[in-house]
Amino acid sequence: MLNNNGKAAGLVLGLVLVAVSDVGCGTDTSTGDGGGQFSPIDAEVATFWDRQTTETAEFLATIVDEFNEATDGFPVKVVRSGNYGDIYRKVTASIQARTLPAMAVAYESMTAEYARSGAVVAIDDFFANPETGLSEEDLADFFPALIETNTFADFGGKMYSFPFSKSVLMLYFNKRVLAEAGLTDPPATWDEFLDQCRTIKTKTGKYALAIDVDASTMDGIIFSMGGSVFEDGKTTFDSEESIRAFQLIETLATEKLAYQITPRTFNDESDFQQDKIAFTMRTSAGKASLARLMEDPDAWGMARLPQADPGDPHTVLFGSNICIFDTTGEQRDAAWAFTKYFTSTEVSVKWALSTGYLPSRKSALDHPDMDTFFSQWEYNRAPFDSLAFAKAEPNVLGWQRVRSLIENAETEVLTGVKGARQAAVDLKEKADRALAAAQ
Amino acid sequence: MKRPRDTRLAVMLLTPAFAVLGVFGVGPLFYAIYMSFFRMVRGGGKTFIGASNYSEALTSEEFWNSFFVTFYYALGVVPVTIVLSFFIAAGLFRATRFRGLLRTLFFLPYVTSVVASAMIWRVLLDPSAGVANHLLRVAGLSTQNWLLEPKGALSILSGGVIDIGVGPSLALCCVIAFDIWISSGFMVVVLLAGLSAIPREIEEAARIDGASWWQSARNVTLPLLSPTLMFLAIVSLIRAFQAFSSFFALTGNGRGPLDTTQNMTVYLYANFYEYGRLGYGAAVAVLLCVALAALTIVQWRAFGRKVYYR
Repeated sequence: MLNNNGKAAGLVLGLVLVAVSDVGCGTDTSTGDGGGQFSPIDAEVATFWDRQTTETAEFLATIVDEFNEATDGFPVKVVRSGNYGDIYRKVTASIQARTLPAMAVAYESMTAEYARSGAVVAIDDFFANPETGLSEEDLADFFPALIETNTFADFGGKMYSFPFSKSVLMLYFNKRVLAEAGLTDPPATWDEFLDQCRTIKTKTGKYALAIDVDASTMDGIIFSMGGSVFEDGKTTFDSEESIRAFQLIETLATEKLAYQITPRTFNDESDFQQDKIAFTMRTSAGKASLARLMEDPDAWGMARLPQADPGDPHTVLFGSNICIFDTTGEQRDAAWAFTKYFTSTEVSVKWALSTGYLPSRKSALDHPDMDTFFSQWEYNRAPFDSLAFAKAEPNVLGWQRVRSLIENAETEVLTGVKGARQAAVDLKEKADRALAAAQ
Repeated sequence: MKRPRDTRLAVMLLTPAFAVLGVFGVGPLFYAIYMSFFRMVRGGGKTFIGASNYSEALTSEEFWNSFFVTFYYALGVVPVTIVLSFFIAAGLFRATRFRGLLRTLFFLPYVTSVVASAMIWRVLLDPSAGVANHLLRVAGLSTQNWLLEPKGALSILSGGVIDIGVGPSLALCCVIAFDIWISSGFMVVVLLAGLSAIPREIEEAARIDGASWWQSARNVTLPLLSPTLMFLAIVSLIRAFQAFSSFFALTGNGRGPLDTTQNMTVYLYANFYEYGRLGYGAAVAVLLCVALAALTIVQWRAFGRKVYYR
């Protein structure tokens, strides 16, 4: 019979096995299927992991169907796989399992992690093929910022992803709430923005803004203050522009001009629709959802982000790119064929008109359908104008970790745990340390 | 004396279990320990670095934060759930009407999907539109940020007298409350089974001797229930140290506001799957299991001898 010590020892061994077993399962072993380094999750179709929901997801599925019919080649199947974070976690787990889809949507910071794993293929390698590639003219037709953001200096300056559903950060305004406060036009500068927020609070008793804590939005505010977030291998969160961005958040919180929403709930959109707030900061892709909620197009609008200097405007480029994984040759080719098809001028225009995402090609702006689109609603052109001065976030290794730190700093300021200056200075120190650790 | 045929049968019956344990338990365990001595970044090869991952973890503010989050969580969930479940089970055991219905109602949270339940709790605790804040407003109290609040619950309760960094954050307290609600159903069922196994005549004898309900519970029921309570304490402590799904489902990323809900499992997961730091993640897993083993031994030594086995 076991005594107490024996039972304890047995129990401890059991615990050790349970606690550590899931970690030890993650090993690196190549399947070596004769194609790429990874096995496809479905050998019969090129699976595409995407995040779109509702009508946008349906429209994407339609585009995929049209592609499959038009090409009559290796078919593509789009699979809704959660939000960007979920897809990133799925992909990283799948890299461990050596089994991947043909392609997936990803932010640049995620692509950098995939590239380090050797899981993604360089898109540039597809360009050279005279039949299936892209000519110099074609490439020049893409907005330069979209090419730049997909080019990874850490990995030989190659493109490891291709623009897919890009958008820019915008300020949405509720005309009914503005009118209640006696305001007519949206603010052009951050000073005007704060003045309007105070007026709204005083005259209506309402919050002016709902904040969804988000790293890209914070970066966008820093850009619009005239700052940057990364220069010469180091972050620049301690710059005066960055501190001013955090001070803006601090003022909004301490004067109770804004409140924080639960992440991923999009409660700001429902509060916007119910006239509980005057402003929300979302990407241009959020237009479709707000249009559905607001119904009356005269009740709201969207404008470029307020600026520190309206003469030298900046905003942040949002949205995802497509990564093509190193699976089999036919999967890779099908993924590239779809990517090329999707970013063609015709499809690009259709996608932009239906979803609020921006076309990746300049020629799309000359398309006759775009003129009609611009004339349908006075604010339709605003995101396209912002695209000209949109800046991409860094795509360096470790930025994924920095994004969490940015969101923590924003939360610190919003909840009063730290002052704006201290949070910004601490953020710089932590972010630089995280980037160094990721190398 | 054992016959050779018995030995062969024993080996035959035990082999599948040992094979499964070896492949999915012992093998990964030793591989995790091996990994923890390397700098392994996903796709970045591996370099032997000795115990550097351990020293990094043990000097990392984030690691200790995750340790204290785990500690506060275990401290909040385990004793409260056991005490609460004991009283519920004692009440249900004596209930004469609607016993089946009540038992089902208490067990329902345990069999409901954690993710589905968490979604409901998120709605209830939403700062702008949730029922919790609505009730506070009706009562004339100040509203709270609940799952978005990184400040310590003690600081909020004391009106800022206690520093905001002391004790669990309000967000973590919400996770603790959620898991108490979820796991009490399981404990109630186990305790009911334990109570059913106690001979009624012993309690009746105590009552005839003039013992009050509390005296009877303290001196008769609890000692006879102690093996069940010990089992529940150990199992729930292990579960508390391995908790993940409720953290993830309630906060969206497990980390919560300012990482105040990032327990050791979430920290391990983040390093392993989000930041691709495989060696460091393995070291954190080993430290987690050492902490768990040490706590279990302490628990066993402190309470094991007080368990009454009939």
